Amino acid sequence: MQVKRKTPMGIWALRGVTVAVALIVLLVVGTVVYSAYEDFSAVKAELAGGSQQAVGAAVLRGTTETVSINITVPNKGLYPLNVTLTCDYPTTNVVCQRTSVDVSPGGQGVLRFRMTVLDVPQFESSDNQVINGTVAISMEPFVGLVVGTNFGGFVKTGGA
Amino acid sequence: MYDQTITTRKRITSAVWAFVVNAIFWIVIPYYVGVFLTGKVPESALTVPTFVYEFGILFIVLEVGAAFFRGKAVAVPLISAVALLTVVYIWYATNGGILGVETSGITLALSFRLMLYVLVLPSIWAAIRAPLSYAIWRRAAKAEVSSALPVSPVSQSGNSPLPQK
Repeated sequence: MQVKRKTPMGIWALRGVTVAVALIVLLVVGTVVYSAYEDFSAVKAELAGGSQQAVGAAVLRGTTETVSINITVPNKGLYPLNVTLTCDYPTTNVVCQRTSVDVSPGGQGVLRFRMTVLDVPQFESSDNQVINGTVAISMEPFVGLVVGTNFGGFVKTGGA
Repeated sequence: MYDQTITTRKRITSAVWAFVVNAIFWIVIPYYVGVFLTGKVPESALTVPTFVYEFGILFIVLEVGAAFFRGKAVAVPLISAVALLTVVYIWYATNGGILGVETSGITLALSFRLMLYVLVLPSIWAAIRAPLSYAIWRRAAKAEVSSALPVSPVSQSGNSPLPQK
């Protein structure tokens, strides 16, 4: 006959830790997925013109063009959101202002990005019309997404 | 629970089950996912990387061993090894929490290092828990024997509740 042993206290403690670890993982993964979904939906709605806050404009004065992008960034998730826009061009003909906004949960922030092409004809005639732009979105402290794309497409002769 | 009373027949059955389940999970499913991806998008680079199968073979060997030696001390390092291998696998599969893709002039980089630490936490804990659990059961069994000795001579007849080494 097999004797049924009493479960030692130490084993109960280990089980308790296992449950705690599982709960922590579920909590973190669940909230991060939920926040990512909510933030993505909110930003997508904003860019689609839900509140007409996402505005991009290119203004040409003489040979200088200024590209302005104003984006309202809502944070409907549970973690702080940081959005940063930067761009990089090998010569001094393009000047970018690095801009960043921190949005706490439930709030919203406005991201104002300016990119100036000092000499548009020179830019258009140059071999390199690629302005390496970076959009970094981070859901502090767990997830960060960096999107790299060409901001050169924003530059239009005569403004938008 | 570490129990030395498990019969050889039970051990073999457990090992066969572990083999079947792990083979399906690590070999059969990835293979058919690969076939599906190749069939759906023939020109794409979407394939199941070979490291999935390599890790799969290691998982099968360790899981079968752990199932066969269940209740014995030798199962402890096997269980811990499975847990640690899971950590390595997750880390390797996610490139250490930094994934990148480039398409049509757009680069996307996803960084989730801290999230990855959270995701591997249960496996790390499982690796630590296995030897601790064994030690606690063994100690409890020893205490049971020593407390039973003066009053119960039956326990000296070979039916020791101590786990076999």
